[in-house]
This record gives sequence, structure tokens and C-alpha cells, in this order.
Amino acid sequence: MRVNVTINGDQRQADDVWEGESLLYMLRERLGLPGSKNACEQGECGSCTVYLDDVPVCACLVAAGQCQGREVRTVEGLAAGDDLDPVQRSFVEAGAVQCGFCTPGLVVAAHDLLRRVPEPSDPEIREALAGNLCRCTGYEKILDAVRLAATRQASGAEAR
Amino acid sequence: MSPLIGRAVPRVDGHAKVTGGARYAADTHVPGVTYGTLATSTIARGTITTIDTTLAQAVPGVIAVFTHLTMPRLVTPPSPYPKGFVPLQDATIHHNGQPVAYVVAQTLEQAQEAAALIDVRYHAEPAKVAIDDAPGEEFLPPPGPEGPQEFVHGDPAAGLANAHKKVDATYSSPVHHHNPIETSATVAVWDGDQLTLHESTQSISLTQQIVAQALSVPQNTIRVLTPFLGGGFGSKAPVWPHTLLTAAVARQLRKPVKLVLTRAQMYTSSGHRAEFRQQVTVGAAKDGTLTAIVNISNQQLSRTEQRVFNTSESSWMVYGCPNIHAKQLGVRLDLPTPHFMRSPEGPALVGLEMALDELSYELGMDPVALRLKNYTDLNPENGQKIGNQNLPECLKLAGDAFGWSRRNPTPRSMRDGNELIGWGMATEAHSYHARASSAWVQIDTDGHALARCGTQDIGTGTYTVMTQVTAEALGMPMNSVRFELGDTNFPAAGFSAASVTVSSVSGSVDKAARAARDAVIALAVADPHSPLHGAAPDRIVTEHGFLFLTDDRTRRDSYQGVVSRHGKPVEATGSFLNVPGYTTGASFIEVRVDPWLGRVRVTRAVAAYDIGRVMNHRTARSQVLGGMIWGVGYALTEHTMIDRHTARIVNPNLSGYLVPVNADAPKIEAFFVDKPDPTSPVGAKGFGEAPITGVPAAISNAIYHATGRRIRDLPITQDKLL
Repeated sequence: MRVNVTINGDQRQADDVWEGESLLYMLRERLGLPGSKNACEQGECGSCTVYLDDVPVCACLVAAGQCQGREVRTVEGLAAGDDLDPVQRSFVEAGAVQCGFCTPGLVVAAHDLLRRVPEPSDPEIREALAGNLCRCTGYEKILDAVRLAATRQASGAEAR
Repeated sequence: MSPLIGRAVPRVDGHAKVTGGARYAADTHVPGVTYGTLATSTIARGTITTIDTTLAQAVPGVIAVFTHLTMPRLVTPPSPYPKGFVPLQDATIHHNGQPVAYVVAQTLEQAQEAAALIDVRYHAEPAKVAIDDAPGEEFLPPPGPEGPQEFVHGDPAAGLANAHKKVDATYSSPVHHHNPIETSATVAVWDGDQLTLHESTQSISLTQQIVAQALSVPQNTIRVLTPFLGGGFGSKAPVWPHTLLTAAVARQLRKPVKLVLTRAQMYTSSGHRAEFRQQVTVGAAKDGTLTAIVNISNQQLSRTEQRVFNTSESSWMVYGCPNIHAKQLGVRLDLPTPHFMRSPEGPALVGLEMALDELSYELGMDPVALRLKNYTDLNPENGQKIGNQNLPECLKLAGDAFGWSRRNPTPRSMRDGNELIGWGMATEAHSYHARASSAWVQIDTDGHALARCGTQDIGTGTYTVMTQVTAEALGMPMNSVRFELGDTNFPAAGFSAASVTVSSVSGSVDKAARAARDAVIALAVADPHSPLHGAAPDRIVTEHGFLFLTDDRTRRDSYQGVVSRHGKPVEATGSFLNVPGYTTGASFIEVRVDPWLGRVRVTRAVAAYDIGRVMNHRTARSQVLGGMIWGVGYALTEHTMIDRHTARIVNPNLSGYLVPVNADAPKIEAFFVDKPDPTSPVGAKGFGEAPITGVPAAISNAIYHATGRRIRDLPITQDKLL
């Protein structure tokens, strides 16, 4: 089947999509957007988290066909050119990135949290990121990054 | 100018990783790529009697189905290839999850559908998958990469006989899996007789070597690329069969083939930490002086390989004891070959550090004092000093920060409301290996430097730290330096495992950069247009991209000025073989235990290490934080369960295999002694694996302190505390 979908603001089209195919497969293998990672294929690790109509989803659990006519925003669509989103900048500066494989999903999940809860408590951060597994960092720096991003957004100057 | 080395600079690859721009093996875009998938065995021991691929071949889009009857013949590479056999070469099944067919199709779905339609019939034989299944079958394996499997020093029996107090106990831990977030991936692209492998590997050079052996082609016809790796933890350090098979089918089909292992396949395709059991007997005199350490272990080996990695070096390298006996037995089971997993020396240390805690209670002695009493920095094998080791300083740094002196040693004595609080500690120790490495540095006419080394960044920060090392040696700002890795066309380096990367590669990078700097200085003093013309080279220093005369800083030139007048880039190479060594530290842990539910939370952790000179306080600290959470998993949650009747792994996924999550992470403080190691040009020791090694014991010891229950079988799950 053919899927028409808006991805990171661009109208995109994928042909010969199989009915059982995941959004993640379509993004990675058909549309040249490999930023979202495939690590568990069953919604356990969060590495493929993307926005579907402004709701964060595991792209491995959403059928590509379900995205027909809808909007998807991936990790590739968070920055404005070289100008990183505050969440992205905070992840780099706080040292929340190691091997980087869980990072795309974590960045999207943290971005979503801060849109909903601009000044989250630590338990709120842990809860929001509970579905994102990381094997390198021990999570502490990821919490630091979210706190830093929240502070930056609260200061207003850097929020967008 | 404050040195760049040591500074907590952010990762230079951070931007690429937060934007989705970092390209991992499976992200590689190759026009016309086809998709491979593995069908794997459902029995653990026996032979394939028939294999019918008719239905699979008929699936639209299927290009080929290879079985042991049709697969191209491959050579089984010698060690360090860890498997002892190559699948799809005969009908024998050595373990569950062994590849029995390799399907290639136009899309992944087609390949997976076809793989599910292959009809395999087996003659199955009874399989043994647990140490308890094979009593009496343990044996002493031949010497491995780290030496003999038995070490005897003094007279251990007499030492135990003369002890004032003794502890004799058995400790055990289950199979663990590495579970890097990136599953292993291979994209094989042939162009004539040239192969390019986009590979998720901790060793591009080993991949090149082993694939060349398996395919019987010259090594220089293979190029391996790993610009980014999504974690490895040892699982991607060896070359496993899926890489060899993918390279072979791509050659056969003359098409690029991409294979990404599924999460479930990672549990049978890329090694694991073996089930481990150890009997530790320790004895001490009244004042706590150790009279004997006996550490006899038994661990799972496969039917096809008998190398042992869980080395017991800590039994003789940490504590000075006149009588030591360490022995590493193995037992062959019908499981995949185990291999090293982050901190392979951890298991042997875990039992020792738990036994020492038990001994401290027998003696009525503080566990830190017991360790300080017996600490040594002499290697009993040769009587030589073991590099620079500052375990006492680590114990003091971490113990003071933790507040250990306020501990009441009586079990169940510390409470907060209903919760029991426990404080435990352990020594941490891990060796690091030596590997030769070479690097190349070029200074271009625009004053920028490019450094290259065929090493890897497995997430630890090689890109960043080697950029710092290059910039410091050259006397350039970091943003004038670009460091590249992960390409076998670059000067070769060893694998990124065994805590070897920083201690090895920093030496060659430093040497190459210094040689390039000296070449530019030589050009400057010989150049009549340079303000430094005629100066003595040894009176010139480089900083911020400029060259100065030490005693007259008004006479200066720049890299850009010198090299642009020279008209072409200046390049140099450097090679280095690091000295292997031993890294120690200490961790102190607080747990809170709910006495009614048996639920354990690690709430506070303080650790200190002697890692030589700290290359980057941010990335070094990250190794501690990551290691600590690995220790939490080891002690409390991680357990690969294998059904003893079907010989299958019950939990080959991230919902059943409990990798610690965000809420499991304690507050962690990390300290470093930060004294340069004299054997390294930049003062670095190997470090990545020392954290973790003592943490499971420290947690277990803290749980004993909280509850009065000594749980010697890890992980310490709630049921064991009820």
C-alpha cells in the first residue's frame, strides 16, 4: 500500500508498504530517517520513541499504515538546523549521552515531558522516562539533563 | 594554560547523537540492499535429520535460503574466534538458537516470513544447561589467554589450619547477558573481490582478520567500518558467526546484505556471562592478618570451546596473603559459548569480597580495617610492585564521603521508620590489558589537525578523549582538531575491551601528535619567513595553535602560518604498546530493605578509584555511574533463565531480563585519586571495568547489615529475603 505522511513538516510518501510493517521500519528503511533506533522491536526499550500527532509512541508498535494522513516528528525534526532544541543541548552538556543508541528515544520522551510539565519533579522525570532503557549512563546524567533543560525553558530566553 | 587532559569537556560526538545524525551499522544506507534473517535451532543438542525449504523459497521476494546443505563452505577461524565451529556447515546442533538457515529477501518481512516456514526435523539428544545438571563433570581447562587456571602460593592448607577464624562458603551467580541497546548488525557490500563491512563491533581489526580467515581471502581485501557503536560490553568484541555468514552469502549472491540480530537472537548469538559458582575459604589470625585465601570456582563452558575468562586474579593481586589457592574449573554444557562481559574478573571478586565481609563479622573487625590490614601492592607471582595502586586512599576517599565511621556494625541496627538500612562495602579491582596501537596525525595548511586511529568508541568517549590528547600534544584548541576512528584503512589498534582503549590508544595518538608538532617546529626554525627562524627547537612551545619562543613570547608563529608557507600538510605517525596493569578502587553502598516485602533499594553509592591521570572527569565519572548501575543489576535483578527441560532461554527480551531502569538508580558520588601512571605517556590507566567488580558484594554485604540475612546466591530477589 501507499502511505502519505507528514514527517518533520515534510510531506512524504512510501510505496509498497506491507500491511504489518511498523512505522519504525518505514522511517528507517524506506524514508531515510534512521535516527529512531530499533533495539527491542516490542515496546520495551523506548529507543524508537517519536511523536505521532504530538503524542509520543514507540514507532516499533505503530503500523506504518496507521500514520496515513497524520504527522510524525522524529529526533531528526527537533533541532532547527544547527540550532539544537534545549533538551538536545542539555543532553550533550549534562553528559547524558554515552553510546548514544537510546538517546534519540530519550530526547523525544524528555521533550514531550517538558511540554506537558515544564518544571517536573524528580519522580515525574523518572516516571516519564521509565520506558526508556539505557545500558551505559546509570541514568543520573539523564535526570541532570532534563532538569537543566527545564531550567533553561523556565528562564524563557531559550524556550521556543 | 590549564591542560586539556582531565578537563570535563562535553562529548565531541554529542551533537550527532542527540540529532539522530550518528550512523550506526544498521543505519547504513546501501542502494539495492537485501535483508538477511536467521532461522535458529529449537533443540540444544543433536542433529538435523531433514530440512525442507520449499515453502520458504516460494515466499515472494525471497532471493535465497541457505542451509547446511547449500551454504558456501567456510573455514573455522582459529582463536580468538570464540565459537569453535561455524554454523550451517554440517548437521550438528551444539546449542539452542544456533543458526540452521540463512534467508535473504527483498524486504525484512519477506525474509522473516520465509524463515518461519522452514521445516526442520531433528534427532534430539538430552541436553544439560545448568551446572547442577552435570555434577562431577567439572575439569581444569587448559591455560587461557590470561594464563593457567590454577594458582598456588605458599601452603593454603596450613594457613587455614593455623587460622584463628575461618569462613568457608559457596557463592553463585546465574547467566547474564550484555544487552547493549544496539543489537548486533552487519551490512556486507562486495565490489568485485573487495568487501566493505559496516559492522557493530568493538574490534574492526579482529573483524577484518577473522572474516578473512573464514572466507579464505587476503585481509587487505576487507574494509571494516564502525564509526559509532551502540554499546557492546564485551558482546561485540569477538567476531560471531552471523558476521561470517552475512559476508559469505553476500559474496555468493553478489548483492549487499544487511543482517540485524533480533533482541531474542542476541541471547544465543553473541556470548554471555557464564553461570558461576565459587567456594571461597578465607582464614585470618586474631588481628585480622589473612592466613589463607582459597577461591575454587566452576563455570559453564560450551561443547565447542573451553576458554575461561572469569579470571580470579583478585585472589592474589589485592591482598597480601602468604597462602593462596585459586582454581578455575569449567563444565561443558549444551549452551552457546560464554564470553567476557563487562568486568569478567568481577565474579571471582564478588565471592571473595562477600567472604571477607563474613570474616570481618567472625573477627569482630571493621570490614574496611580488615582490608587495610591486608592490602598489598606486590604481585606474589613475581614479587614486583603492581604499578601505582592506591587502594588505601580509595578506601579513605570513599569511606569518608560515605560517612562509614558512623556505621553501627550490628545487623538490623539501623532503621528509618519501617525500613531497614544497611551499609556495606567492597574493594573493586580489575586488570587491563596491553594492545599495540598506531595513529596518524596531519596538520593542514589551514592550521587544523586531523588525527586517525583504527580504534573504536563503544560509548566510553574515545572520540572526545583522543581529541583532548591530540589537542594537548599539539598545543591547539580542541575545535581545531578532528579525531576519526572506526575504519580499518586507518593505522591499526586493538579491540575496545579489557579496559584497554584509553591506556593503549592515548600513547600512540600522543606520540603521533608530538611528532607532527615537532615537524612543524622544525619547519618554523628553518623558515626564513618565520619569526622563529633560527631558534633552537627545544626552546619552542605550542599553545592555542601558536608556536612561541619560551623566553621571548613576542616571537611567535602559528601552525597555520608555518604549514601554509610550507605549502602542503605535515603528517606524522606514532606507535605504542601500553604496559598492562591493575586498577583498584572501593565502593560503599547504602540499601533500604522493606522487611515485609523483601524489596531492596540501593539508595546511595560512593566509590573511589585509582585510574592514573583522569583523562576527562566527565567521561571517567560516567564509567563509574554506568558501572554502578551494572552492579545493581548484577546484585538485584539480572538473571537469564534457562528452562532445564527444553534447554531454551525463557526471558530473551528486555521485559523478562531485568536491566535496571531509571528508578533503580541510586545517588552516586565518584572520586578519583588522579595521579599519573608512570608507564603511560599521558599517565592513563585502564579503567572501564573496575567499577562493577565490587558492587554486587557491597550490595549483598549491605543487605546482610540491614537484615542479618546472608544471601550468597545472586541476584538477591525479593523471594530470597522473605
